[in-house]
Amino acid sequence: MTGASRSIPTHRSNKTSGSRLVAGARDRALLANFFHRELKTRYLGSATGLAWALLHPLALLAVYHFVFTTVFRTGGSDGRSFLLFVAVALWPWLAAQEALVRATVSLGGYSALIRKVAFPHEIVVYASVGATLALQFAGYLGVLAALAAFGEPVHFEGLLLAVPLWLVLAVAVTGLALMLAALQVFVRDVEHVLVPVLMITMYLTPILYPLSLVPEGVRRWVAANPFSWLVARLRDALLDGNIAPHAGDAVALAVALAVFFGGRWVFRRLSPHFEDFL
Amino acid sequence: MAASLLKLESVGKDYAKVDARGGRLRLVWDLLAGRSAARVFRALDGVSLELKRGESLGIIGENGAGKSTLLKIIAGVIEPTRGTLAVDGRVGALLELGSGFHPDYTGLANIDLAAALLGLSPREVAAKRDEIIAFADIGEHIHDPIKHYSSGMIVRLGFAVATALAPDVLITDEVLAVGDESFQKKCIAWLERYLGDGGTLLLCSHGMYHVQKLCRDALWLKHGRVERYGAAAEVTQAYLAFHEEKTAQSKRPIGETTARAAGMYAIQSLELEPGDSIAQGDVLRISGEVFSPDGRAPNVLIGIVRADGTPIYGVATDMDGAPPSRIGEHRFGFVMTLPGVDLLPGKYLVRAHALDPEGVRLFDCVERTFVVIGSTREMGFVRLPHRWGSG
Repeated sequence: MTGASRSIPTHRSNKTSGSRLVAGARDRALLANFFHRELKTRYLGSATGLAWALLHPLALLAVYHFVFTTVFRTGGSDGRSFLLFVAVALWPWLAAQEALVRATVSLGGYSALIRKVAFPHEIVVYASVGATLALQFAGYLGVLAALAAFGEPVHFEGLLLAVPLWLVLAVAVTGLALMLAALQVFVRDVEHVLVPVLMITMYLTPILYPLSLVPEGVRRWVAANPFSWLVARLRDALLDGNIAPHAGDAVALAVALAVFFGGRWVFRRLSPHFEDFL
Repeated sequence: MAASLLKLESVGKDYAKVDARGGRLRLVWDLLAGRSAARVFRALDGVSLELKRGESLGIIGENGAGKSTLLKIIAGVIEPTRGTLAVDGRVGALLELGSGFHPDYTGLANIDLAAALLGLSPREVAAKRDEIIAFADIGEHIHDPIKHYSSGMIVRLGFAVATALAPDVLITDEVLAVGDESFQKKCIAWLERYLGDGGTLLLCSHGMYHVQKLCRDALWLKHGRVERYGAAAEVTQAYLAFHEEKTAQSKRPIGETTARAAGMYAIQSLELEPGDSIAQGDVLRISGEVFSPDGRAPNVLIGIVRADGTPIYGVATDMDGAPPSRIGEHRFGFVMTLPGVDLLPGKYLVRAHALDPEGVRLFDCVERTFVVIGSTREMGFVRLPHRWGSG
């Protein structure tokens, strides 16, 4: 036998917990292919697709604005513009939500390949999450620009902090998405449970209200939600122009990385068995 | 000595068996904890084989024998539960022909995808795209998603990609069974050229003809184990012989217990008088018993065929309005007399089939051979009444 013999091609890259995200030029080409395809079929495939990606959060923003400033008149935005207050936080939440929901069912769309071809299955999840977040981030920038054009006081220098914050979000969302996608293959209920859970979590996160309105007793618990931290930091940056790094940022990054590696561990434990259950 | 591209040593694969939803949760838990599944189905066991560069191996076996599982292990889609698989380090991705396709992609996009899966850059494949499209020869369909393709069109595209990208080992599963004849010929011609040029082939097929024609060696899988492994001619012959015997067995009467359990009408016995050998023009009496699961009178179809299976004549009791007569609660007897069997000398078969009372469904097939003795220079297999001369 000549040449280096390898036991079980490509699966090795799946098994060893190497530091590389995905191994090899082939896998990068595959990731590029899937990512491009996700973007194309999802948003460019249908005439209203791209518009819808932007319209959905915009419509939600308008409804929340109406409900909370006209009907309830909570006026609770820490003295800041409610529209901007909500927009800055709502967008990353909706981005995370869409990324999780889509990624959870993403493996099903690639079942024909997974059953027949050896490749690291996590590429599918990376492409799905990546495509969603990339588009939603573009939408975020567009909305900030639009709000600024309408005279909302957007601090664009805050993007210096907001962009890294989105990256931290992306790392954590990818980890969660890996776990959910892997579980969904075996237990089909995951996708059905996920949507209501996300809905409830959204209302428990200070997206539509400031943390200061939350009663003293439960405030600790609401603040313990990692997304509460993200929302607060985004508001610091884009509403107040405060981009000074914070000790909590390092903790957040550590948490996000822990979620990512945890999710990937679950995924890699289960992925050798996908073929049999998809 | 040629280098071994691929070597499997006592490879086995177990699949987890889960039924209820709770079972799936339990399985996830076991897998996460690093345990193997509690209940397994043994799909493959103790399979060893070696494939060297330039060799061709055919994998044969009945449905469910583990052929696809074996191909998946070789392609790296699944890991073997037991045993080792060694692949020459220089071999690129092992891809089953026509498998690197995504149903939602167009034909063109799938060419790029298959190339990416084989490790080629889009630039490398761009140069070959025209060649692929020409070989596939599916016209404007190349712009449609392949989920709208017929199986033949997918195979065309798969072959076209394989021809252009020339993988180290060509793995094909039943692809020669689909596609029209002219395309099949094109594929076989291409495969022969590929093998002639030193290509390596792993062919999974039900068609012994293809295995004999294209493969040097063959491996016969039976219930997940290797039944026979060696020269293609020898293994395929053994496989065919096994099937002939199996078919012959199925031509014996199905026992009453089985028939009752399956709720089917079944011929229980078939007798020929005067015997297995008659003189040309003699009287032949065909009789037997038939089982009826519901006690209603079944119909019986009697046919006479030549030894090679060519049908000569067949008639059923309902056609002649002569139902079998009741001889028991679930048993009926039938007798058919052929006053003068004017078959030419040779070997023939009598076939009896049980049909339902409606004469619609056919349940079984019981055979008896008989020989017609005589000496004549007439041709064919039956003497037709005739006369010579004018009018």
